[in-house]
Amino acid sequence: MHHKAVEKGREALRYLLLTVIALALLAPLLWMAMTSLRPQEEIFRFATTLSVQSFIPTRLTFSNYAKLLSGDFPRAIANSIFVTASTVTLGVIINALAGFAFAVFRFRGSNLLFGAVVASFMMPFEAIILPLYILARWLNWTNTYQALILPDVANGFVIFLFRQCFLGMPRELFEAARVDGAGWLCIFFRIAMPLSGPTIAAASLLIFVHQWDSFFWPLVVAGTSEYMVIPVAIGRFFSMEGNDWGAIFSAGTVATLIAAVPFLYLQKFYVQTMMSSAIK
Amino acid sequence: MFRASWATVAAFLSLALTCLFVFRVVPVAIAVVGSFYGESLTGEPVFKGLGNFLDLFADQEFRDGVVRTLVFNILVNPIQIGIAFFLAILVLNPTKAAKFFRVALFLPMCISLALASVLWSILLDPSLGLVNGLLSALGADRQLFFRSEGQALWSLILLATWKSVGYWMIFLLAGLVAIPSDIYEAASLDGATGWRAFTKITLPLMKRPLLFVLVADTTANFLFFAPVYLITGGGPNNSTNFLMFQAYRSSFVLVDHGRSLAISTIILLMIGAVAALEFRLFRADPKQG
Repeated sequence: MHHKAVEKGREALRYLLLTVIALALLAPLLWMAMTSLRPQEEIFRFATTLSVQSFIPTRLTFSNYAKLLSGDFPRAIANSIFVTASTVTLGVIINALAGFAFAVFRFRGSNLLFGAVVASFMMPFEAIILPLYILARWLNWTNTYQALILPDVANGFVIFLFRQCFLGMPRELFEAARVDGAGWLCIFFRIAMPLSGPTIAAASLLIFVHQWDSFFWPLVVAGTSEYMVIPVAIGRFFSMEGNDWGAIFSAGTVATLIAAVPFLYLQKFYVQTMMSSAIK
Repeated sequence: MFRASWATVAAFLSLALTCLFVFRVVPVAIAVVGSFYGESLTGEPVFKGLGNFLDLFADQEFRDGVVRTLVFNILVNPIQIGIAFFLAILVLNPTKAAKFFRVALFLPMCISLALASVLWSILLDPSLGLVNGLLSALGADRQLFFRSEGQALWSLILLATWKSVGYWMIFLLAGLVAIPSDIYEAASLDGATGWRAFTKITLPLMKRPLLFVLVADTTANFLFFAPVYLITGGGPNNSTNFLMFQAYRSSFVLVDHGRSLAISTIILLMIGAVAALEFRLFRADPKQG
């Protein structure tokens, strides 16, 4: 009996801790969303002393959102969605192809190449942004979509994840298709990929988070309003002649809501894939 | 494994390998080669040998930047990994509620770091910030946070930790789940439960996931940029003037590409050295070989 009570107490403590930490983590987001619905002159009225009113607007308005529509922000949303969707699509296909080759084909130099690919994962993108910018200028790629998309497509860690996934598939599966005369590309697209749902989802989330998050690279390589992505646009609201907080909070809320859709859908596959294949 | 023709292997590998070569290997080469060059008055590249590096080592701002980057990393990585590990243990037992909390704690990952920076700069604002609102509601003194030389670094640590603990938690959770439960059952027969089980079983078996997260987290934090650029601008009084920000400023404010590439090269070398050190530390345990 005593043991049971201790167990119960421990569980209660666990959920109490989790609730407090989750509230602390999510409160800033809730505050941003709520504040975006306040009229400009009331934005900071209840922030100086914490109370319920700091989180719940007394007067609701969508004026901050209406104002967003007239500026550059809709363009930034479209750019971000286009750039992120392209990066994820290309990234999944290209990295899965490479992962398949490393998992299924025997060829000379395979181990060495795979080692180099994994090492490239340790070679972070952000560290080479300045030389990459010089490369982009040589290629005449400044202020283009390819400059935003292509550098973020190949990813050593995603190749590793796909290799793990394909290694787990039974050899007979591919053998049978070979006997039926199927080509390797056909096997890849018709058999291997349809069986890789969770890994595709996890890879998509990894690439998505990185591209959606990127700020430094878009800032230096495509900072004009035509190619501006959401983080750069928010950075603009923040630094241009006094901070436009109404715009910042409403733009931030829109950006978060857009990202939350694929995020919430993909996260359970992400957790699953990390558990089954990532670090063993 | 199957034998396939060279053409087939090439068809599968070429796209990814070309991208990795062009966007990873070539820029590193540019950084290393470019760090040996400077510009003449007419804008022509001039070979300077180790000139850029010697200039950097003689420069107080750069030397301070090295120290601050290292201090930031020594503080932020153990804090983030410690909290992430603690959270992973809290959400390990897969009840419905724990699964909900996994998502909730992971959620700040879908906010871009730029937005997180902007958000936290106002949350920690000395006069308008909600955190100071909380402090004054509790009867504590208001703080300067990002505007104070002593607190700016800690405020950046808070922001970085808020953004990423959930992300690292998932990797550590994956490692914890992989530990077979019969090991714990066998150990509990020998009387090893609770803290003893944690230090004798969990920690040794978590070495690989911890090493992975440590190396990946260190790399990310060496390259911490957006919050410095958006909030502190390296200040107050250079207290957050990390190397990454100096590399940016050298290129885009001072227009000295040689200096910027030399700093980039040094950052890459430092990341490599620290990662090698971390690998050694985790291998050092004689029992694990």
